[in-house]
Amino acid sequence: MKTLAALKVLVVEDEALVSMLVEDMLGDLGCEVVGPAAEIEEALRLAGSAEIDAALLDVNLGGRPIFPVADALKARGVPFAFASGYGEAGLTEPHKGSPVLQKPFREADLRRVLEGLAAQVA
Amino acid sequence: MTVLEADAVSATEEIADLRRRLAEAQAAHADEVRRNQAFSRIAAAIGAHQSLGETVQAVIDGGVELIGAQFGAFFYNVVDEAGESYMLYGLAGAPPEAFSDFPMPRKTAIFAPTFDGTGVVRSDDVTADPRYGQNAPRKGMPEGHLPVRSYLAAPVKTSDGLVLGGLFFGHREPGRFDARAETVIVGLAAQAAVAIEWSRAGQAGDRELTERRRTEERLKFALDSGRLGSWELDVETRAYDASDICKSNYGRTADEDFGFDDLVATIHSSDRARMLAAMDEAIRTGGDYDIEYRVVIPSGETRWVHARGRAAVRDETPVIGGVRRMAGVSLDVTERKRAEERQRLLLNELNHRVKNTLVTVQSMAAQTLRAADDLDAFREAFEARLIALSQTHNLLTEQNWESASLREIVDAELEAFAGRERLDFDYDRDLRLNPKATVAVGMAVHELATNAAKYGALSTPEGRVSIAWTIAPPEAPGRLVLRWTERDGPAVNAPTRRGFGARLLEKGLAGELSGVVRLTYDQSGLVCAMTLPLAALEP
Repeated sequence: MKTLAALKVLVVEDEALVSMLVEDMLGDLGCEVVGPAAEIEEALRLAGSAEIDAALLDVNLGGRPIFPVADALKARGVPFAFASGYGEAGLTEPHKGSPVLQKPFREADLRRVLEGLAAQVA
Repeated sequence: MTVLEADAVSATEEIADLRRRLAEAQAAHADEVRRNQAFSRIAAAIGAHQSLGETVQAVIDGGVELIGAQFGAFFYNVVDEAGESYMLYGLAGAPPEAFSDFPMPRKTAIFAPTFDGTGVVRSDDVTADPRYGQNAPRKGMPEGHLPVRSYLAAPVKTSDGLVLGGLFFGHREPGRFDARAETVIVGLAAQAAVAIEWSRAGQAGDRELTERRRTEERLKFALDSGRLGSWELDVETRAYDASDICKSNYGRTADEDFGFDDLVATIHSSDRARMLAAMDEAIRTGGDYDIEYRVVIPSGETRWVHARGRAAVRDETPVIGGVRRMAGVSLDVTERKRAEERQRLLLNELNHRVKNTLVTVQSMAAQTLRAADDLDAFREAFEARLIALSQTHNLLTEQNWESASLREIVDAELEAFAGRERLDFDYDRDLRLNPKATVAVGMAVHELATNAAKYGALSTPEGRVSIAWTIAPPEAPGRLVLRWTERDGPAVNAPTRRGFGARLLEKGLAGELSGVVRLTYDQSGLVCAMTLPLAALEP
């Protein structure tokens, strides 16, 4: 169990304005931002090797689904949450049940989801 | 007189008596024959299921003949299709004109027993009857009426007492109808009642048949024009009977065999179990069968069929849950399903876009608030950014949200800041940007323009801005190289703190489009150099 302070969070988001918002919110919460990655290749690279505690994933990355990144994180045992304008409806079957932040979200929503993820960090 | 003479007289009288009796017997026989013939004609008329009018005429003619009346009439009530009741009549022994000038008989004292069905009225001289002539205004037969003295009238009633009408007979001479005539007419009235009832029942049956035929025709028309197929299934034998349209819904021609096994095999494997379960449920409970499923027709195409049906008990020996038979309709709903799917995707996409835009606005508000010194400054900057975002949306909407031209994006964002005469464009060809790049580049140009208007070349009357781009130059293959250059403005210095604009350009835009964006605070003015991969820009 980790606190949010100094929690290393990988951010995958392809829209500049949105990733800036998430970065600022994470900064306010005391987290350390890894990324943000705007492309699937970069996201896969970071998900596979970067030093991270948790991840926040935009579901749709320039028209490409994020799920390979989610699978890579799962394989590594890194807890993650999705951020999506579609809500849970945008998730494929194996990922339903993962935490989802419905866009737009408040900083308090992000905090709640991150605390849930931090609780899973050994 | 001798004995012989007396014998002769006696014999003569006897012969005369015998002759008289023979004549009487012959007359009675002839009478009987005539009566029998009349009865059999009436019976034949009734048995022939003729029209009501023909049956009534046979009854009146027969009655006149049977009792030796001069006139016969039958007044009866009919109810038309609109439910209106009115009186018709048949006549014998007088032309129809004999009555056509008179109103229908009213329920006067003399007629009441007949129309109320209370009994027979027989009078040797009706004009002497105490019930005759009691009613105003005519006090008897109207002028010009058939001259009736002998009168015999009997109600025609159904077995359950409903009065259908009345049989009336008359003769010019008084005393013509005896008790025997009364008996004959009562019997005739009973037969007439049966005949009329049969005739009415027949008409009602005909109407029902006609109506049913019309309904079937309408249904067939509806089925045909709506491409609605119909089907029937024998639950026990699984014999399946499909109409031509029903077959075509499953990709079969009219002359192809299409049994229950074929039906099940045609249904998409993922929907088959659901279809069979729904059918079993309907058979088990006797409820409705209503299902949409995919079918894979012989050409390999997948289509959607909506099938509805209802279980019906066919005979007294129920097999499963009382149901022997199911009948229903089928409709090809492929187009509707495709339209629904398109609509669902569109709604999803719209929802996604709206949500995304809301986050963008949320972000702009948050960033602007961080950098703003006061609420007025926040409001001014935030509104300008909101409008800049809206401009990019306008351009995209014009192009079906597919793409926008780079030149138009730049024009739209600069419009509010500088006249065309202060801008220099330099490029070989325009470039179309995808929606995401349109918003990103549009917002970037807005930030550059805002900065120029506040601190740079567009803050003085002499300052100019040049916008130049090249697509895939030799030194940067596969990239757009765009250069924003300010000149003739005030001397610029690098800002002490990196604002929203700089962050959006150098980090946001570069990150989002996987390119490089560099801001140079040159003495002669700000220079922004963007190198962006075409793959991230083009639609």
